Amino acid sequence: MARNTLGSRFRRVEVDGLEENSRFVEEQDEAAELQGPDTAEVDSLLRQGDMMSAFHVALRNPPINSKNPAIKEKAQAVVLRVLTSFKSSDIEPAVKSIDRNGIDLLMKYIYKGFEKPCENSSAILLQWHEKAFAVGGLGSIVRVMTSRKTV
Amino acid sequence: MSMCNSSWSQMVFYEKAHEGSRRGADTSAFLQSPQKMTATLRPYLNAVRATLQAALCLENFSSQVVERHNKPEVEVRSSKELLLQPVVISRNDKEKVLIEGSINSVRVSIAVKQADEIEKILCHKFMRFMMMRAENFFILRRKPVEGYDISFLITNFHTEQMYKHKLRNSSKIFEDLSLESFCSRLGRRCGSHGK
Repeated sequence: MARNTLGSRFRRVEVDGLEENSRFVEEQDEAAELQGPDTAEVDSLLRQGDMMSAFHVALRNPPINSKNPAIKEKAQAVVLRVLTSFKSSDIEPAVKSIDRNGIDLLMKYIYKGFEKPCENSSAILLQWHEKAFAVGGLGSIVRVMTSRKTV
Repeated sequence: MSMCNSSWSQMVFYEKAHEGSRRGADTSAFLQSPQKMTATLRPYLNAVRATLQAALCLENFSSQVVERHNKPEVEVRSSKELLLQPVVISRNDKEKVLIEGSINSVRVSIAVKQADEIEKILCHKFMRFMMMRAENFFILRRKPVEGYDISFLITNFHTEQMYKHKLRNSSKIFEDLSLESFCSRLGRRCGSHGK
């Protein structure tokens, strides 16, 4: 064997540091930070009993690019309130009324809602999941798992 | 492992039986109890099945850090670009399933319902029994993830050798586990009523 294999210092060289582009860098999205749905508007719509509009308003302005956990918590709470105030029979028309991006967003909120189950939320969320899955298919679930921007 | 069909009917019977025993009714009333619990069970299992099906898209991927090594990336967690968002599906605050995916492996962790002390002990013993024999199960993990009772690690090699739908079903057997402990409780109650 050649002499230079006796040394092992080459093993400690950090290769990723030498080459500039080799490390994975998350793309910094320059889009504006959305602040989450407007709580007051959603509240008033819920009080009026207009579930569909409350639902649509709640799915607007998702805090996807925001790094602030408080904003995400607030958005999640609002959406969860809207989702739990739906009756089982109204879920299907609501799900049919949103477009594909909306379904993906809804799935993200549903899975986020599963993480903190409170007294009946999981049962309703399971029904929402079933209906959203019927419309969105496996692709909507895959997009939840692969997207780097969580809601 | 196609216990799927028989386990549905088993589940319904056991669920009904559990309702009866909870209200202190005698054994003959078991078959008349309402199916309150199965209302969330079926959507729960469907949701888990769908999510698992989405997550079980695995391909071979050699380690980027060490040459000629092939490690399950969900365990190693060395590179962010290879990992998927972990996803939880919960039926209530006690029962949930955590699915963490990556490019070549998926980790599924199940938290099983344990209502009282005896169920906790039974569950713990049963899981320990299985986990000690994890080599024979191939996909079982020897230690559960924090906060859960049992974990599976499924790699691309498993999906290459085994059917995906059977892999999904085998994790479902553990979700039905709580019913087995209900059964044993049933046995105790029946014994004490002298039936």
